[in-house]
Amino acid sequence: MKDAASAAIYGSQAANGVVLITTKKGKAGHAQVTFDSYYGVQNVARKVDMLNAKEYAIIANEAAVNSGSSPIYSQHVIDSLGSAGTNWMDEMFAKDAVTQNYSIGVTGGSENSVYSTSLSYLSQAGIVGGKSLSNYERYNFRFNSEHKLFKNILTIGQNLNVAFTNNNGIGVGNQYNNSLRGAFQTTPLLKNDPLDTAGLYNQANPYYQMVYNNQNRNKNQRVIGNIYFEVEPISKLKFRSSLGIDYYNYDGQSYKPEYKLSIYAFNTNPQVTQSMSKSQTILWDNLLSYSFTLGSQHKFDAMLGTSMYQYGGSSLSATKTGSVFSDVEHAWVSNGTSNTATATGVAYDPDHRMSFFGRLNYNFEETYLLNATFRADGSSKFAKGNQWGYFPSVSAGWVMTNEAFMDNTSGWLNSLKLRASWGQVGSQNVSAFQYQSPITFTNTYYIFGGTEGTLTPGAYPSRLSNTNLKWETSEQTDIGFDAAFLNGKFNVTLDWYMKTNKNWLIKAPVLATAGAEAPYINGGGVKNKGVELALAYNNSIGELNYRVSVNGAYNKNTVSHIPNADGIIHGQTNQIYDNSTEFNRAANGYPIGYFWGYKTAGIFQNEQEVQSYTSAEGTLLQPSAKPGDVRYVDVTGDGAITEADKTMIGNPNPDYTFGFSIGADYKGFDFSIQASGVAGNQIVQSYRNPASKYGNYTSEILDRWHGEGTSNRMPRVTETNENWTNFSDLYIHNGDYLRINNVTLGYDLKRVIKQNFLTQCRLYVSALNLFTFTKYNGMDPEVGYGTDGFTSGVDVGYYPRPRTYMVGLNVKF
Amino acid sequence: MKKFNIYTVVFSLLVLGGCSDFLETESLSNSTVDNYYKTPEQAFNALVGCYDGVQALWSSGVSFPVASEVLSDNAFGGTGYSDGYGYQMLDEFDKTRSPSDLNLFNNNWIAYYKAIYRCNILLQKLDAVEWGTEADLRNIYEAEARFLRAYMYFDMVRLWGSVPLLTEPSVENVPQSSPQEVYAQIAEDLKFASENLEAKSYASQPSSERGHATKWAAESLIGRVYLYYTGYYGASDLAGVVSKAQALAYLEDVIANSGHGLVETYANLWPAASGTDYAKEDNKETVFAIKYTYTSDYTTGNDDGNKWLVMLGMRNYSSYPYGKGWGGVTVNPNLWNVYTSTDTRKVASIISIEDENIAFDQQKDQREYTGYYNKKYTPMINLNGESVSAELASELGLNSDFQISQFQDYVVIRYADVLLMAAELGSSNAQNYFDQVRQRAYGANFSSLPVNQENLLNERRLEFAFEGIRYWDLLRQGVDVAANAIAETTQVLNGGVETTKTITAAKIQATKGLQQIPNTQVSLSNGVLKQNAGWE
Repeated sequence: MKDAASAAIYGSQAANGVVLITTKKGKAGHAQVTFDSYYGVQNVARKVDMLNAKEYAIIANEAAVNSGSSPIYSQHVIDSLGSAGTNWMDEMFAKDAVTQNYSIGVTGGSENSVYSTSLSYLSQAGIVGGKSLSNYERYNFRFNSEHKLFKNILTIGQNLNVAFTNNNGIGVGNQYNNSLRGAFQTTPLLKNDPLDTAGLYNQANPYYQMVYNNQNRNKNQRVIGNIYFEVEPISKLKFRSSLGIDYYNYDGQSYKPEYKLSIYAFNTNPQVTQSMSKSQTILWDNLLSYSFTLGSQHKFDAMLGTSMYQYGGSSLSATKTGSVFSDVEHAWVSNGTSNTATATGVAYDPDHRMSFFGRLNYNFEETYLLNATFRADGSSKFAKGNQWGYFPSVSAGWVMTNEAFMDNTSGWLNSLKLRASWGQVGSQNVSAFQYQSPITFTNTYYIFGGTEGTLTPGAYPSRLSNTNLKWETSEQTDIGFDAAFLNGKFNVTLDWYMKTNKNWLIKAPVLATAGAEAPYINGGGVKNKGVELALAYNNSIGELNYRVSVNGAYNKNTVSHIPNADGIIHGQTNQIYDNSTEFNRAANGYPIGYFWGYKTAGIFQNEQEVQSYTSAEGTLLQPSAKPGDVRYVDVTGDGAITEADKTMIGNPNPDYTFGFSIGADYKGFDFSIQASGVAGNQIVQSYRNPASKYGNYTSEILDRWHGEGTSNRMPRVTETNENWTNFSDLYIHNGDYLRINNVTLGYDLKRVIKQNFLTQCRLYVSALNLFTFTKYNGMDPEVGYGTDGFTSGVDVGYYPRPRTYMVGLNVKF
Repeated sequence: MKKFNIYTVVFSLLVLGGCSDFLETESLSNSTVDNYYKTPEQAFNALVGCYDGVQALWSSGVSFPVASEVLSDNAFGGTGYSDGYGYQMLDEFDKTRSPSDLNLFNNNWIAYYKAIYRCNILLQKLDAVEWGTEADLRNIYEAEARFLRAYMYFDMVRLWGSVPLLTEPSVENVPQSSPQEVYAQIAEDLKFASENLEAKSYASQPSSERGHATKWAAESLIGRVYLYYTGYYGASDLAGVVSKAQALAYLEDVIANSGHGLVETYANLWPAASGTDYAKEDNKETVFAIKYTYTSDYTTGNDDGNKWLVMLGMRNYSSYPYGKGWGGVTVNPNLWNVYTSTDTRKVASIISIEDENIAFDQQKDQREYTGYYNKKYTPMINLNGESVSAELASELGLNSDFQISQFQDYVVIRYADVLLMAAELGSSNAQNYFDQVRQRAYGANFSSLPVNQENLLNERRLEFAFEGIRYWDLLRQGVDVAANAIAETTQVLNGGVETTKTITAAKIQATKGLQQIPNTQVSLSNGVLKQNAGWE
């Protein structure tokens, strides 16, 4: 749901759109039983092609020579390597990781009572490391029912959903907490052998690093439910009140064995850690609604409501060093051998919200539609005075085809509705107490006197405060139409929209001189402007029914009104490789999170090109460059390559998003294809640390400059990687892709089995993520990366989507 | 519509009742900048927080004492053969040696300003504390906080030349102050500390208070600041705040009244050189030290250890009593050769692999191997070959190892320094002070040398090797003098292979001996911070 007017009533969670989950309700009548299942195997769709041992040795030699050192490997050694060596990509990915789901449901009821209940099991193993390192398993139980009492004046009902989840996982975060990243960095000359404790060039085995550091088991139980009643004391006047809970309980254990994989990658203390947490949310909603008609043409729906939200919880974790058992299954604190345990426990910051809202719908003969809403949202996260935000919205629709003057088009135009809406929704997605500067006591000690280990506790303010922090407002204007042609066979939807996130909530890095951590700020505005078009056509040829739909959107993203003196919210450092500098930012007039670095203009092919690369005044621009180095562009034209020459070199936000789907069914067979893609965006690819001279390379390096005329894009290799230490467009790749998300072929065996009790018995085969058309050479162009507010489009070894082949069964009787 | 009204009323009551309180929540500790700093105990905790900030200055990045040795003629960068070239970049004053190190000091820059912020906010809040009967504490806390602030600005202004000077908290984009402004503030802070801290002699200070800044520490640091500022900037006094005579008077006061003195045997100042005869931390020669202990823990993130010590140990090799480290700061053989054989400081300061018959076999993994490591600051092992500090930490059940558990204090100022500084500033007892220091070093082999500037500076190199002093002693004689002393072309072993090592005077001169301002801070300031010459 996209336009603000419809989102408005869903309140503060809705700033980024609303996905409505309709609760499955039973229907009066005979009971219906459904059984759904699938079983599939997942594999990595594409691995990155890294250098093999021989290629690596050749490149490493060349880098050494280019850096003035002697070659590392003799020709004899190189000749003996062949294509041998460890392919770390192959080592990291598991084959045929299983994904499966089984669920059974029953719905039914009588005139006065309906129910729906189900039980399901889902499991999915990870393709990196396989089931023992990364697995997700969920048991789910659901029971919903609704009862009508006192001649339908009172309705009561309840929804209950209980989920038990067991999972264990590996690091999939930024460059440091990312198990896969090691596979890009490690030399193929290192063997995948845990007994090799020396590593090679102090590089550690990435596979066993992943194994040793990801021994964890997590269990959680979640109960989501509500009880509601609705009274209709007089016709069309309804009052509904619903009290809901969301209770979450977690316990986990982890074990870290003693190991040594290199002089830097080791753990001398085995540890057992046990952690627990729980949280509870209480949600109380009240709605009063009334529908009435004035005359026969003016229909009104009015609604008033309140919503109250309260969240709290706590966590506790304890660690002991040493363990009686050396496996994660026995990783309980009581099995730890040290005489004391390190424990931490915190209460979660409370989060309270309160909302009042109202809505009025007006409808004149189903032709003129008007809707107005207003909400007041209060949040405990802001200081007094800023707690309340007020968010109005209006929308109007005109069904033109209901007008008499449109009668002559009714032959081909079945319906045409014009729509316009404007509205605001609030967002308060920040940590609590940003308006205060808290005093920290944790880990704050000094030792006075000569008795080692005796600590004197201290205190200090760890974060700056922002007393002015207030609601972020997402304001959206939308104008569009829906049209149906050819008896509804052809549908067109077109929208123009402008969405502006004002007072954007973001944790912006501050200068070190501020002396403490940065608080959240209201960081200006982010505007998205664009057009969306969706076309759908369905028809039949005999018994063949088919559907084709295409959608496309153009979007332009611009940041404005950043309140800092320089109009910039700076990106984080150390994000894409060790010691990486700021590489992205949000700045007035630019798209959010744009890539900021040096522009390059090819490679210096010879010494003469270096010498002739001068400013207008004749000063040498890159005096220390050598043939094969990258030529940076003097954007400012000031005669030197400096920080000031950094500029926009890429945009992670796509200009275009698009998709299509094709579906058909014929005599019990069904077939569908779904695809989606983006265009116009860029990706930062960074698999290698330029601070390390021995890291492996992708095979792209084979096209490097190694003599005049050999390359004008990929610079020479050196041990100090100087062409890669300044963030430049060398890191930028185009991110366009079109992905075939899903291809499914099914057949309903009911045609064969012909039993009356059977409503459906469909067997299907599916391929998910079957193929991706892209020029991007990473594993997956759809990279999601975001440790801070606006970073996107960064691939530091992103966990790729698996390709899944599955068979499934849907039975209904 | 009567029913409607009743429902409206009920509905409103249900919801509005207590609503105004509902959005008022309290944080876990409920201590904030606005309600803390009210009692003398809280002020004390905040002061400890300042010391904690100083303790954390070099938890990551490059520590000031380590950088000072790498920059000097005492040592090379060293470190592992496959490591990054950051220490070579420092050693050779050449950013092209490690192009990826645009932020070598960023964590330190941040840590200095964090600790300064703690001091500034405490100083700002002191008058709001309800001191009651403990009013005398107010100025003591102010004096200690200002001492720490001065100490930190002195590190920073030496490393970076011009730094933003904040004496109260500010979130503004503060430009760099001139060195003179920074030094004037340092001098004022130290003067305040020396005037407001009690003239309590070393012997009368309770041992549990050791580690606090004292009057003597403030007076001694004034001497060091005076000598550096007047030397490097060619000024006739300390930024108009302290004259030469006053600087000398401060040092003479320390000598006459502090109760500090020389530890009898030089080697006993250093744990690895003295074994069981170690004079222990907080000995009478320690005028001020940054203190560490072994309670660091990976799990909780607690950080009280000396995390830079591990950089100085022999490369991945232990030999009792020396523990392994990362082989940074390999000692320049010239330094070993400058000591005469009768100078007890030679073997107390330097580990000679050959002379001590150490079976070191990690040349392949060592960059810039010279056969010598420093002995004053080195990790240690016990007779079982286990890291001394890691053993102590594991007795506490901590998740720790030799990298974070090291607890040797960094002795910032020794009494020997006070004597030599007083001699250099023209004390009437200059010869006596000079002889005291040398007598201890040479013992029975002592023969007097005339006290003069040249002899004093030579002596300082021998006395204070690896204590983070030499480089600044060179630089205060002028950039050219320092450049010529440090520049050299020599042979070292890189990964076991003989390699030529060159440090050029021109590179040192181009930087004026100053270091790179972290690129991240320049970016964040949008160019308000100006990079130092030679590092753009």
